[in-house]
Amino acid sequence: METYQKYFDPRTLASLEGLELRAKRIVEGYVSGVHRSPYHGFSIEFAEHREYVPGDDLRFVDWKVFGKTDKIYLKQFEEETNLISYMLLDTSESMRYQSSQAAMSKLEYAQCIVAALSYLVLQQQDSVGLVTFDREVRSFVRASGNPSHLKQLLHVMSNAAAERKTRLGPVLHDLAERLKKRGVVLVLSDFFDDVPAMLTGLKHFRHRRHEVIVFHILDPAELDFPFDRMTLFKGLEEWPDLLTDPRSLRKAYLEEFGAFQKQLRVGCRNAGIDYFEMRTDQPLDMALTTYLTRRMMQYKM
Amino acid sequence: MGTLLAWGGLVAAPLLLHLLSRRKYREVQWAAMQYLLAAIKKNSRRVQIEQLILLLLRTLAVACIVLAAAKLFFENSPIAGSSHQRTHRVIVLDASYSMAYKPADRSRFESAKQLAENIVQQGTQGDGYSLVLLGAPPRVVVGNPAFEPRDFLEELKNIHLAHTGADLSATLQQVEQVITAAKTEHPRLVAREIYFLTDLGRNTWQPDLKETSADDFRARSQRLAKEARLVVLDLGQPTWENVAVTGIQLADSTLATARDATIEAEIKNFGNQSITRLPVEWYVDGRRAGQDAVDLDAAGRATVALTHHFDTPGDHSIEARLASDLLPVDNHRWLSLRVKPQLRVLCVGSGQSDGYLAPAEYLALALRPDDDRADSSDIQCDVLGESSLADADLASYDCVFLANLGQFTASEGTLLSSYVAHGGNLVWFLGEQVQLDSYNRRLCSLDTGAERALPARLTGFAPAGQYMFDPLDYQHPLLAAYRGRSDHTLQATLVTRYVKAELPPLSKARVALAYENGDPAIIEEAIGRGRSILVTTSADRSWSVMPLIGSLNELVYEMLGWVVHPAAPERNLLVGQPIGDTLHGQAVAANVQLHIPGGEQQQLRLNIDGDYSVWSFADTQLSGLYKAELPSPWGVESLSAVNVDTSESDLTAADPTELSAKLWAGVPFTHLTDWQDIAEAAADAAPRRHVLQVYLLSIAIICLLAETFLAWRFGTRGA
Repeated sequence: METYQKYFDPRTLASLEGLELRAKRIVEGYVSGVHRSPYHGFSIEFAEHREYVPGDDLRFVDWKVFGKTDKIYLKQFEEETNLISYMLLDTSESMRYQSSQAAMSKLEYAQCIVAALSYLVLQQQDSVGLVTFDREVRSFVRASGNPSHLKQLLHVMSNAAAERKTRLGPVLHDLAERLKKRGVVLVLSDFFDDVPAMLTGLKHFRHRRHEVIVFHILDPAELDFPFDRMTLFKGLEEWPDLLTDPRSLRKAYLEEFGAFQKQLRVGCRNAGIDYFEMRTDQPLDMALTTYLTRRMMQYKM
Repeated sequence: MGTLLAWGGLVAAPLLLHLLSRRKYREVQWAAMQYLLAAIKKNSRRVQIEQLILLLLRTLAVACIVLAAAKLFFENSPIAGSSHQRTHRVIVLDASYSMAYKPADRSRFESAKQLAENIVQQGTQGDGYSLVLLGAPPRVVVGNPAFEPRDFLEELKNIHLAHTGADLSATLQQVEQVITAAKTEHPRLVAREIYFLTDLGRNTWQPDLKETSADDFRARSQRLAKEARLVVLDLGQPTWENVAVTGIQLADSTLATARDATIEAEIKNFGNQSITRLPVEWYVDGRRAGQDAVDLDAAGRATVALTHHFDTPGDHSIEARLASDLLPVDNHRWLSLRVKPQLRVLCVGSGQSDGYLAPAEYLALALRPDDDRADSSDIQCDVLGESSLADADLASYDCVFLANLGQFTASEGTLLSSYVAHGGNLVWFLGEQVQLDSYNRRLCSLDTGAERALPARLTGFAPAGQYMFDPLDYQHPLLAAYRGRSDHTLQATLVTRYVKAELPPLSKARVALAYENGDPAIIEEAIGRGRSILVTTSADRSWSVMPLIGSLNELVYEMLGWVVHPAAPERNLLVGQPIGDTLHGQAVAANVQLHIPGGEQQQLRLNIDGDYSVWSFADTQLSGLYKAELPSPWGVESLSAVNVDTSESDLTAADPTELSAKLWAGVPFTHLTDWQDIAEAAADAAPRRHVLQVYLLSIAIICLLAETFLAWRFGTRGA
């Protein structure tokens, strides 16, 4: 594994203490590997590097690059429009789920994404806000571009308790009304709720001319259903327990789950919403790439 | 019942495991519960069917493994076992001499032993084995079930074919006793099988049973069939040939003192092909004495004769011998002759005369050799009065005639009973003096175990009249000399008085001569080792004209010749019958050295019984000459000829259809007629069972693979 890539690996991240450290590692890893990324050319906080020539202002030397490559580059900044990003994080009980195939729960995974993106956003001097919710909004942190804002975001996220049932539709409607300033709305959830109601809520954001990105956070066990012996499934979010032979149900479950995903995905596409499935056993750079792609498109527009 | 539950439990194990598995599970928290519930709701019926299919496959797999492990036999196998149950197998081995028939390199008996060995080797651990020999008499070799095959096979190995016939009825009785005892002593042997390894000879399997005996036989067979599975393994051949010496005897009635004798042997062809110039050899005292050749039609008979002069008195052996064939046992027949230097006869009678002679004197006169039938020195005849009977040394006489004796004391009754029991011969003539009650009480008591000297009870005096004899077609051997003759005076004999006599219940006595009204005139019976003959009329002229017309002389001579025959029945026997002798006097040494056919020797104890010394040997399983070396004071050899019962020489097999229709009506049994099939069945039984196990295990593996595949398929289909 490349050095930079290890910071996208959930197993590596899980061994790190604290969201802030995790966020920094993700972003740094991402930045150091960006020239290898298929998304090469995306601007993060600089348009391009130029080799240092004597007489250049040393304030613009990219010391991190120098530390890694022993070469002196100058960062050339481009003027960018400030972007507001709203991170909507589902902290319902179902997000607490973590199978043996995953190094972290869905909530932890989503928190890592939110933290990394927030760090990145603030690094770009954009604004970022945070909303945590389950069946209702639990915390609302207004968008800010102050670098110290990150600590508040991380604190709110760290204290989020996953205990209640999801009720995403009404929450989204509520937030769509409350987030008046146009921006990028990132929704991170497993979306285990009524799909039409959720889509209606998401469309509400689109109606408010927000760019909406849906990160569908899923555990590999929910996607693969790898159980092979008699299992007592203890329902979260007030669902009843179920004792069954999972082998006999695997096909039917995957059909049901696939239908759910398809309904959500197609609904998002039809509403002009970007939909991304995020498996908690996969690297997190996809989230950053996704966000930056959207950011680039915003910038170019 | 417990075993059934155990097996049922094993086969139900998958079901139990299935149910138990629902109690043993892992627990996980699950977020996407709504999709799982939706899946169950939509697919519950399909899931149930799939679960049922998987359960059936698991059950079938376990059942197949259990069956294979249990080494099940199936009913259609001739070497069958009773599934998984411990089985008591009773092997009934036909030991009749027809099993000695050797059509190939092995005799039927050897094949039967091999088959028995196969049956045992193909059994399962925990099975018990018994061995009964189908013979006459039957013999239980291993009664209490042997659970160690090696022990049983050792016993089987030591079994040798006897020269007996076969008594199926008695054998089944023994088998039933063996099974009954095993049921009590070994309750774990819950299944039972009886294997009859036999040539299914008609004489054995279609016996001429009386109706009551047939009913008993059928009832016993049905009981056995309820208790056990009956399997008849037929080792007979569809085609066979056999010739046997079926008889050997003196050609005419000859006194034991005769030195010249003509011996006849009967040869019978039991086969379906005629034979020409079949050589027959004669051996006297072990030395070749002559040869004949006979032609025999299919199923035909022929007689050959040998005339021989015996130089010395004593026991002599004569053997008629055929060239060897596929059944050599019946190619020999022996005759034992005892040539005596002189016969000693005692005549005891009342002093009452008919005006001419006393009855005893008539008898002495009849025995006096005034004709050319015997030398004057052949018979020494003593006459005693009635009062001298108690003091007479009866044991020194070959035969005692008693004429018109009035009554007997207890000691006289005992004396006469002991004499006849130890081989003496009594001939009774009656008359006016006879006191019926004394005769019946002292000589023919009905008390069980009481001594007897008289073959019949006297019931009363017939009224005076004119009575003629009915010779009853001369069937009795005592009248054999009259057979076919017209010059004898027996039929012209007039009797005016006689005593009515009746045979005691269950008596073995036979009527040799009767009156035309059906009343017995002469009754004879073998009592002990001797013989008693009762003539119901008088020896003098008071009751019959016999002394006048000469018929008395002839009759007395025939009776003497019959009871003191050189080829006496007690020395010419069939296989299985006991041999022995009663000697007058007491031995110095206590043992008799007996030489048995085949070279074996046995020491026999000589038992002292009053004035007599007695030896006997019951285990005459082989045909041939049994030579007893008698100790002092006799110091002679006693020869007994033991021959086979040639009914066993007819190798015709019983018809199993007729068997199941008549003798074994309503008795289910498995019958196999083809020797090759039996041999192959025996040889292939274990491999076939292994093939069966392979099949079962293959099915189990297929089931397990199918279960795994289907479980995977049900879980991944469409995923």
